Amino acid sequence: MTSMSMSRGSLWSIDSRVIVYSAIGAALYGVLVGLFKIPIPGTTAVDVRPAFALVPFFGYAFGPIVGFFTGLVGNMIGDQISGWGALTSYNWSLANGVVGLLAGLAPLYLRSMMDKSLAQKALAGAIAGSIATVIGFLIVFYDMIKDQMDFNAVLTTEYVPVVVGDLIATIILVPVLVYAWEPVKERLGR
Amino acid sequence: MNFAPRYLGRGSWLAQRDPRVLVLAVVCFVFAAIQVWDVRLMLVLLALAFAWYRSARIPFREVRRLWLFAIVFISLLVFGNGIIASGRVQRLPDGWEQHIYLYLPLLGSPISAENVTFAITQFLRFMSMIAIGMPLAFAIDPEVLGVTFARLGVPSRFAFAIDLTWRFIPSFAADFRTTLDAQRVRGMDFAPRSRGPVARLRRQVPVIVPTVVNAIAGAEDTIDAMDLRGFGTGPRTWLRELRLDRTDRAVLAGFVLLLVGATVAGFATSSSYLWIPPFMIPG
Repeated sequence: MTSMSMSRGSLWSIDSRVIVYSAIGAALYGVLVGLFKIPIPGTTAVDVRPAFALVPFFGYAFGPIVGFFTGLVGNMIGDQISGWGALTSYNWSLANGVVGLLAGLAPLYLRSMMDKSLAQKALAGAIAGSIATVIGFLIVFYDMIKDQMDFNAVLTTEYVPVVVGDLIATIILVPVLVYAWEPVKERLGR
Repeated sequence: MNFAPRYLGRGSWLAQRDPRVLVLAVVCFVFAAIQVWDVRLMLVLLALAFAWYRSARIPFREVRRLWLFAIVFISLLVFGNGIIASGRVQRLPDGWEQHIYLYLPLLGSPISAENVTFAITQFLRFMSMIAIGMPLAFAIDPEVLGVTFARLGVPSRFAFAIDLTWRFIPSFAADFRTTLDAQRVRGMDFAPRSRGPVARLRRQVPVIVPTVVNAIAGAEDTIDAMDLRGFGTGPRTWLRELRLDRTDRAVLAGFVLLLVGATVAGFATSSSYLWIPPFMIPG
């Protein structure tokens, strides 16, 4: 069962499928996040990270638990692989987790779109991912307490660049992933 | 980049510790370090972190790039914060006046003894966190990751998911390379031709989408195998059991004391405020 066909109660059930999809999402995100970074011309620190789209996609397609695990553990693994350390910026991992969680709650606020055509489902994925990204990354403002960073510094060097880059990845790639996954899902009989 | 979990610290003093000690040490250290702003104490924490790192005996040539990335990234972060903060310095003692050396041309940001000390302390703090955290990836036997988190109180299903994640990484990295090669053979050119991020993003689609969809579709075998073995129907046992020995308990007690000490000192002393070295204050 996927989030796109979940009832409210089953959003929180944990079975072998949820565990395996969580592990797959986290492993893919951890591996791919450091590989692709596309700088945005005219900016100094704004990168589009295509792999980020996996976080809202896994949340949207497989539910909030899978989304949260994908973002949280995947980001920690990516940080650890890059040498930054899994816990050095633990609030960023939590922010990624919350993005996946909020995208996974799409059936609660985008139900009408998710029951319609494939195009509507893909659009709903982009909308859910965008909402989740804008809200989830507010957690990075915890750097003002953790690292005593200035509000303007967090806003201009962290929040805005990350949200802009990740929104581009989400709006383009989540619908593509939904389009690619739906036929496979049907073929697998789910 | 090599994604396979590498047990580089195999046989070292740190690798002989119960892996729970490594995880808890990082947690205690990070929460202790974020409370300290006195650069003298931060230097002590940095020394402790590097002693810990050194005990993992991770060959430097294997992690040289990781250190380089970390130093460049921290420098940019600290420098950016210093510039954008425009002279506002956190954690100064009440009533402290800043001692300004000069103003940056064009930007007008002041450079003072206080914001230089703040930047140095912030840099040292990040370095110490990275030094203490790096052995997590290289000095824990990947075979015991699941049981480590299970014994730390993580629900066993999620501990199993963490274990599974670590095991999936090498195979997904191999699948990714195979997909990349297959697309190149078909004539895909991944060299950036356009400067537009959207166009460049779309060029990644033929690699990312097959890798992801194949990984999800291939999960069915794993799910079936877990279901057939009754996964989640009862308490789980683990192949390896963990036991804290006397050294583990002593090390753990030391890190817990460090956290408690940093917390108490934060309230009772000036350790949570910046300390400006006298030689940095202009006469």
